[in-house]
Amino acid sequence: MSTVLSGEFWAFVGVVAGIYTIFGLGVQVQFGYTGLLNFGHVAFMAIGAYTMAILTVKTGIGMWAAAVIAIGVSILAGLLLGLPTLRLRADYFAITTIAFSEIVRYVALNEDRLTGGSQGTINLAGAGAAAQYDESWQRFQTRAQAWLHLGSKDVTMLVLVWSAALVLLVLLHLAVRSPWGRVLRSIREDEDAAASLGKNVFSYKLQSLAVGAVLGAVAGLFYAWQFSFFSPDDFAPLVTFFAYTIVILGGTARTWAVPVGAILFGVIYAGTRFFDFPPFSYFDSADRAYLRLAVIGVILIALMAFRPQGLFGKRDEMVLE
Amino acid sequence: MTLLEVRGLTRSFGGVRAVDEASFDVAAGSITALIGPNGAGKSTLFNIVSGFLRAERGTVRFAGRAMQRRTPHRIARAGLVRTFQTPRALTKLSVLENVLLAAPHHPGERLGRVFATPRAVRSHEAAAEREARRLLELVRLDRHADEYAGTLSGGERKLLDFARVLMTEPRLILLDEPMAGVNPTLGGQLLEHILELREERGVAFLLIEHDLDLVMRASDTVVVMNEGRILTVGTPDEVRRDERVVDAYLGAQG
Amino acid sequence: MFLQLLANGLVAGSVIAIAAVGVSLVYEILRIVNFAHGDYLTFGAFVGVAANVRYGERMLVATIVAIVATALLALVLEFALWRPMRRRGAGFMSLFITSIGLALLLRHVLFLVAGAEPRSYAVDPFKVYVVGSVRLGGSQGAAIVVGAVAIVLVGLLLARTALGRKMRALADDRALASIAGVNVDRVVVYTWLLAGALAGLAGVLQGLVQASFTPNTGFQLLLPIFAAVVLGGIGSAYGALVGGLLLGVAMELSTWEELAGGVNPVYKPVVAFVLLIGVLLVRPQGLLGKERLL
Repeated sequence: MSTVLSGEFWAFVGVVAGIYTIFGLGVQVQFGYTGLLNFGHVAFMAIGAYTMAILTVKTGIGMWAAAVIAIGVSILAGLLLGLPTLRLRADYFAITTIAFSEIVRYVALNEDRLTGGSQGTINLAGAGAAAQYDESWQRFQTRAQAWLHLGSKDVTMLVLVWSAALVLLVLLHLAVRSPWGRVLRSIREDEDAAASLGKNVFSYKLQSLAVGAVLGAVAGLFYAWQFSFFSPDDFAPLVTFFAYTIVILGGTARTWAVPVGAILFGVIYAGTRFFDFPPFSYFDSADRAYLRLAVIGVILIALMAFRPQGLFGKRDEMVLE
Repeated sequence: MTLLEVRGLTRSFGGVRAVDEASFDVAAGSITALIGPNGAGKSTLFNIVSGFLRAERGTVRFAGRAMQRRTPHRIARAGLVRTFQTPRALTKLSVLENVLLAAPHHPGERLGRVFATPRAVRSHEAAAEREARRLLELVRLDRHADEYAGTLSGGERKLLDFARVLMTEPRLILLDEPMAGVNPTLGGQLLEHILELREERGVAFLLIEHDLDLVMRASDTVVVMNEGRILTVGTPDEVRRDERVVDAYLGAQG
Repeated sequence: MFLQLLANGLVAGSVIAIAAVGVSLVYEILRIVNFAHGDYLTFGAFVGVAANVRYGERMLVATIVAIVATALLALVLEFALWRPMRRRGAGFMSLFITSIGLALLLRHVLFLVAGAEPRSYAVDPFKVYVVGSVRLGGSQGAAIVVGAVAIVLVGLLLARTALGRKMRALADDRALASIAGVNVDRVVVYTWLLAGALAGLAGVLQGLVQASFTPNTGFQLLLPIFAAVVLGGIGSAYGALVGGLLLGVAMELSTWEELAGGVNPVYKPVVAFVLLIGVLLVRPQGLLGKERLL
């Protein structure tokens, strides 16, 4: 049977889309609602995943406690990043944040004893001992599968990821629709006006960054659980740009547009790997990976040129100016 | 009673003193006009008083408290609120949302409260909306309440700015050319509102205005600036008779 | 050791500086933060390797071919992409994100065309120049000389020529410059040609200095380049030059052992970023940038 038709494959695409939904919601609140061009969002994903894995493998505390701490560490990192940079202009902010995410990646790459280095988490417990951080998750997943009477592990993961994604989506939706979200949108458009009306712009930007950090970390946790192994390469700046593509594809400042963008992105991204009809069949598998990224580039350019408000955004409320 | 006390404010740009040792008072519940030729430093002074610009020297006291080191939002929260020369309507928010944004002490603006006490947030929001609609009616923008503020004309945006400032429940409002670009009928109404607010709520106004007729008619005190310095302070009659004021204006025009 | 590191830093710094001037000019004049600039460098490096290795041209000729080709690439993209985007009224963020799309497109087309395996120029890898206690490889020596000449020429171009004056006028105040009779479209074309040519040169130099390169090389250099631009102050071409050299030197000197043991060389990029964030804490507008006013 062709891979394109296998349920397993589409369950995988669905899981990845769910993780990217959570990750993209972080970009949506920071960029879509607050206008913060945080190009280092992937750092929160890395910090979430690594903190959980390191604590689980190297200390006695359980994986679930480690996951909660990981989210806390990610928030802390967000505040640490925001304090010196949030007063900067948008372009300076974008560049310093991407620098931040690269610092995180370099540290993960080079501090072998802490992170396992370039070989990734398999090396966490030192050479020779294949480290595992997700035993608790596997047990939980098996129980959830039995309890929900689901057919396979993949489908269980799909259900779990999307449950989390939808809960977070609803919470974020409530948050941005509240007066709190109104302040974020006012900052996005004109911080001086917001400040002149008594809004503490800096504090709200920091909060927005922190909320994004939580979502990034949760995405990182699911990423770690889905793949049971990860390495610094999984957190390249490209991942942040994927999230921006998703948010812009769906529509900025639209919470419900994020999952749609993520699903479309998942189909384009994962789908092209297995499409075995022309023009995809003209390329071998390595080349298809490049082709896929070139196509993402074209999509971004085309969106900016022809539909900057995305699929569901309103032109009048367009963020991209 | 003095509400705003400005003492010795100085700020220069590239060696030129835009504001030079400026000192004056605004009495509680008064209407004070700040006039002077273009480039006299009026807007710079506004920016300093409202915290958007740091002074090199000098103090600003509002209701007895030092303001010169505070950030703009803290000054606004103290009850000293400004408008901008070009209105800063938030074009991607609805007209109503623009005014709602200005609601003071709104529990819904705290993320924790949004989830912890949703009912308190909703009732506060409902009350704020009633007040906002009332203010929009006041400036005749109620018909546009649910449209994006971006659809408003320049004059309408000035009115929206005004409504928004009122929503903050201020004690002193700094108005930067409130009448510019507003049609005369509406301008007249705006002036009436200003007078009314002063009477009913004791709100004080400090306004930059180029329409001298209006200034002389409406204000209690006139502060005249020229080349960064305060030229004179007095009642409209006193200022009208002051030779130096006439010279400053003629000099600037000639 | 200190002098050796200083020399290495000047080599790395001149490559960054040359590229950063282009980024800075494009930003000043067009208000585009061009995220694809690193990939312009890569393009130049690959055109150079095609001329040098495949067609056997001398390195000098290959460099000139790379410069011309990258300038033309920048020009083509101005007409095919940036100008139409401006006509559509695309704003700052739209252009920023467009450039990210362009970066992805350029890089991966290069991967498709040229492949992922590392490339090298046909130069003598064992040639060494010795000046006092400093030893520089042949490529490094060439890079430092060519880099210095290019930096001086760009400085002169901006300071002394009519085109340089027009560029600065346009950067200061677009409306005013256009009233004063500056042909905006033409200056924009020259800006891209200059930025592209410098990117081509920087790409070849980086390829020489690094000994080998892949389609990822330019993107890897992009962050130091942006750091240099920001460090110098966005909107200041001179600042970008200074920022680039400073960054290159700082990155190398940080590994000096007598400097509290020195930093592990793998953290050189991190030094650049930390320096950047540190400077911005003290001077949010960058070293030579202008203060923002309300």
